[in-house]
Amino acid sequence: DGCRRGDALRAFHTAMRSCPAHSRSAAGKEQAQGTMLKVLTSFKSSEIEQAVNSLDRNGVDLLMKYIYKGFEKPTENSSAILLQWHEKALAVGGLGSIVRVLTARKTV
Amino acid sequence: MAYHSFLLEPISCHAWNKDRTQIALCPNNHEVHIYRKDGAKWSKVHELKEHNGQVTGIDWAPESNRLVTCGTDRNAYVWTLKGNVWKPTLVILRINRAARCVKWSPKENKFAVGSGSRLISICYFEQENDWWVCKHIKKPIRSTVLSLDWHPNNVLLAAGSCDFKCRIFSAYIKEVEERPSPTPWGSKMPFGELMFESSSSCGWVHSICFSASGARVAWVSHDSTLCLADANKKMAVTSLCTETLPLLAVTFITENSLVAAGHDCCPMLFTYEESQGALTFGGKLDVPKQSSQRGLTARERFQNLDKKASSDTANATLDTLHKNSIRHISVLAGGKANCSQFCTTGMDGGMSIWDVKSLESALKDLKIK
Repeated sequence: DGCRRGDALRAFHTAMRSCPAHSRSAAGKEQAQGTMLKVLTSFKSSEIEQAVNSLDRNGVDLLMKYIYKGFEKPTENSSAILLQWHEKALAVGGLGSIVRVLTARKTV
Repeated sequence: MAYHSFLLEPISCHAWNKDRTQIALCPNNHEVHIYRKDGAKWSKVHELKEHNGQVTGIDWAPESNRLVTCGTDRNAYVWTLKGNVWKPTLVILRINRAARCVKWSPKENKFAVGSGSRLISICYFEQENDWWVCKHIKKPIRSTVLSLDWHPNNVLLAAGSCDFKCRIFSAYIKEVEERPSPTPWGSKMPFGELMFESSSSCGWVHSICFSASGARVAWVSHDSTLCLADANKKMAVTSLCTETLPLLAVTFITENSLVAAGHDCCPMLFTYEESQGALTFGGKLDVPKQSSQRGLTARERFQNLDKKASSDTANATLDTLHKNSIRHISVLAGGKANCSQFCTTGMDGGMSIWDVKSLESALKDLKIK
């Protein structure tokens, strides 16, 4: 189980690093969103806080962007887990991180 | 902290006279009201009625005791006190959109007006014709100019705009002044020269401020960021993504410390660490009243869980002094180098005076560098 948790965290950081904010292709962004959503939904509720705390300020802002993107296209179970991610990310990033999702010129 | 509620409506803008006995403010309409301190009370002593649109900016020149106001009627007026009456002089700004902000230059021989016409009008008095004329700074501004601040050399002007950028221009007017000597922002300063332009943030630049020395300029944007450019470090820009709602006003209180306030309704301290080139959040400056926390009954807990999906005692009321967004901050005493008192006005129609020494002793972790 510890091995699986490590995998999820690793997958999380990899997905965060390959952010397509600078690419303009819609297809590339769709793919990254899909990957990120898969990674986020694969986490157990108890593991979310640790993952959020492993991010720096820019990481938290980026995560918040992915969370809202995930809200835009809800699947059967996605919203519930995304809301848990949202709660943890908000605790670290504050309302400012949500403001930056709204004002961002480059979307994920 | 002294808080006075002037109005039930927002205070659009305010300015203080030199000895801080009078405050001029716009009560969210076409007028400017001047109040004078009478002991512990404030009495209205003048009503300035000339604008045909909301007054968006007021500045009070300390030495010459003249007021300048600008409004959505695309006009600016310079007001002079004759006896006990303030007499207005119209200044033609040659703009076709609302004026948004106005600032006297340090020597009070010019003033700058930012407007929705995407330009800055630099106005000065022409002796031979006995009227105010203006020159425009246009390029490369792409949207409304929301905020202005003068460098202490009376020539450089910082402007924050809705095109997400902070810029420093030269507003050198050869008719009224000598050529300026070189500064860390550059040596050639012909009128309209762009000395510095920030890379785009993602938000309208609400407020901008030079430090007392003029070597640093700080600005707050609508994307909840605070940025600072240091001319002594080749104009390197440091930014801080805050955890707060967007800030609307910022001022330096020492060369390294800033106070900013905005939609979170309370002033906050920020510190610039020159050696690391970093901005850090120094704490909220509003000391909340100790509200009695009564425990929740089990029933209330379940109700909260049902309604709000959380069992926290969420605050429905604001703890802060100001009950709505703070729009403007002004330094009252000590200047921007060693501010000992500053003032905030906001959308709640209130005005608050903050004493830096009292804040330092009340908030133990506060460090003003």
